[in-house]
Formats: sequence, structure tokens, C-alpha cells
Amino acid sequence: MTKIEEHPLEKDEAFVRLLSTLDRSEVRLSDDLDRRVMAEVRRRAAAREARRGWRWWVAPRDVRLVIRPWMVGAGLAAAAGIVAIVARPQSGNLPASVAQRAESVFVRFELYAPDARSVSLAGSFNRWNAGATPLVRRDGSGLWTVTVPLPPGTAQYGFMVDGQRWVPDPAAPSVDDGFGRRNSVIAVPGEGRTL
Amino acid sequence: MSEHTERPGRGGNAADAEAVRAVLGGDVERYAELVHRYRDRYARYATQLLGSVDAAEDAVQDAFIRAFDQLSQCREPGQFVNWFFLILRNRCLADRRRGKKRSGLDDVGVALMTAPGMASDRVEQREDVYVLQRALMELTEEQREVFALRHVEGWSYEEIAAQTGASMAALKMRMHRAYEGLRQILRKGE
Repeated sequence: MTKIEEHPLEKDEAFVRLLSTLDRSEVRLSDDLDRRVMAEVRRRAAAREARRGWRWWVAPRDVRLVIRPWMVGAGLAAAAGIVAIVARPQSGNLPASVAQRAESVFVRFELYAPDARSVSLAGSFNRWNAGATPLVRRDGSGLWTVTVPLPPGTAQYGFMVDGQRWVPDPAAPSVDDGFGRRNSVIAVPGEGRTL
Repeated sequence: MSEHTERPGRGGNAADAEAVRAVLGGDVERYAELVHRYRDRYARYATQLLGSVDAAEDAVQDAFIRAFDQLSQCREPGQFVNWFFLILRNRCLADRRRGKKRSGLDDVGVALMTAPGMASDRVEQREDVYVLQRALMELTEEQREVFALRHVEGWSYEEIAAQTGASMAALKMRMHRAYEGLRQILRKGE
């Protein structure tokens, strides 16, 4: 590497005296800086997750049913899919609580788990209550389904299999729940949006 | 007057590497460690380039957020701080160029480089501060940067070259021009 020789000015007495007027004192930024940076970082991380979920959801794909045959025979033998029914809830043959939520979109959750004795859905929309939303097994198949109304926005969820095994949806994006488990993420479009 | 800032290191920092990997793995909170560790390291450098502590604080904040956004591009997590310096440097230089275009002036950024706090009783020293301040105003931002890194931060030319990515030849030219510029300006003032 080339060496840079000392410039004659660096040896000049008057210049050296001038250099002594340079301010070399430490500069300390305000104590609040860390908090501001982290607030923005958290906001961006959350937005990134939401975008990821949304991109997954709105990307052109067959969303009617996603089956993962490679899961079959692997003990749990699970495959999952979500089918969103774009139609608005019709009040006629629906439970009252559902009909009241006119802004909701119906989302069908499906899990292919032929060996399971029970499957339920727990998520941010039912306060993570694993007993609140059981899936029903379709006759003669290993497919478990449930349809629930969800308000527009992002929700996290997962399946509880046999009352003890947490299974994130393998067909959906997922995030760390902060306790070593993965939660699946779904983005439900607002009014006037179609999937 | 304090010691010079810590020299840019090439060895890597295991704690930084671990924090960067954790953040990339989804543990966003670990980013706070990096912010806390390096928030003030280049504060003086940014202040010198931008002319005020407030502007430097904005630049450091932006640089940390930009670094978070682009963290996956930090190819050597153990060298996070060197990579962060480049982001901050780009932010400061871009800010200065924008400021220059806007105002047509080139006098921000030097007020803090010379020490108004040294406005001592000695008239002679106050004049020195003024002379150097005026002289530094006439340097380009790259020349002023290299001058500040050399004479305020106390880095060697090798360290400046490694840190800024400038070749030694370019650095030599820049310093030579900076010194010649200063010499002429100081002569005129005699």
C-alpha cells in the first residue's frame, strides 16, 4: 500500500498551532435516541410482517385447497389450506353473532390430519382459546375444516391437534410468537377488497 | 479535550455478530444492543460534517433505521460497526450536498469543527479559531471529511482508506489538495 508522506504543512509551527483549536471534545447524543430508533424499528418490523402476509395472501394462486401430500404418513400427516369466501355473511342460516358482524369476511380453515382425534383453531381472533373453535372432520377423509368470520386486518393463529400439539399452518406465512413457537399469519382484506 | 475515538477495527466483534444474526432471525429487540453500543461512536464525526449536534442526531437515527432495513446486506455481521459507519457517512455527505444545493452556501459543517468553546481570553487564539474556520469553509466536503478524520478523529491514512473505501492514491490527492488549499488561504490571510 502506498504511504502518504507527511505534508510540509503538518510540520509548520503556525499550522500546528491552528490545529490545536480544533474541537475534539466528545459529542453525546440525547438519551432519547435509542427509544426513538427502536420505536421506528419495531414499527417497520411489524409492517414488514404484515406486508409479507398480505403479499402471500393476494398473490395469484389457487386458494381453494392446498394439500401437502408429503405430510401424509409423517405421524401428524397434516396439510392445511385456507379458503376465503368472498361473499358477505348472509344472515339467514348463520348464528346471530356472525350475522351481526357485517364487516367480516368468512375464512375457511382446513387441516389435513387423518390420524388426528381432534383439531381446533386458536388465534388472536378467539383469544387463543383452543376450545372455542373446533374443526369438523369430513366424512371418510382426513380433512378437518371450520369456517369463521374474521374482521379485516391481520390475525395470527395455529391449530391444536389432539389437544396438545401446536401446528402452524404450513401453507401460510408464520412469525415467531416470542416463546419459541411459530404462529401463522393471515391478512383479511377490508370492505370492497376481494381476495 | 478527549481522546480520539476508537479506531476502526478489522478483527470483528462476536457480540455484534450474534446480535445481527438474532435480529435477522426475527428477534428485533436485539437491535437495541447495537444502537446502544454505537449511538455515540461517530456522533462527533457527524457533527463535524453537518454542523450541529441536532443534525448529527437526525443523521445517526436515520442511519440506524437504514441499517436495520438493509441488515441482510451486512455480509460480515462481526463488522457491523464499520458497515454502519459507511451508511452514516453516505447519509451525511448526501445531506450536505442537498443542503448546499438548497442554500448555495458551503459554510455549514465547520462551525463545530473549530471550537467556539475555546473562545478564551486570548485574542490571538480566537483569531486562530476564526482563521481556521474560514479556511475549512473553502474545502470540498470530501476534503473536509478526510481532514476531520485525520486531525479530529486521529485516524491514520490507512484507517481512513480502509474505512471510507477510498484508494490510497485518491486519499493522497484529496489530502494534498486540502493542505494546499489551506496553505493558500492561510497565506492570503497573513
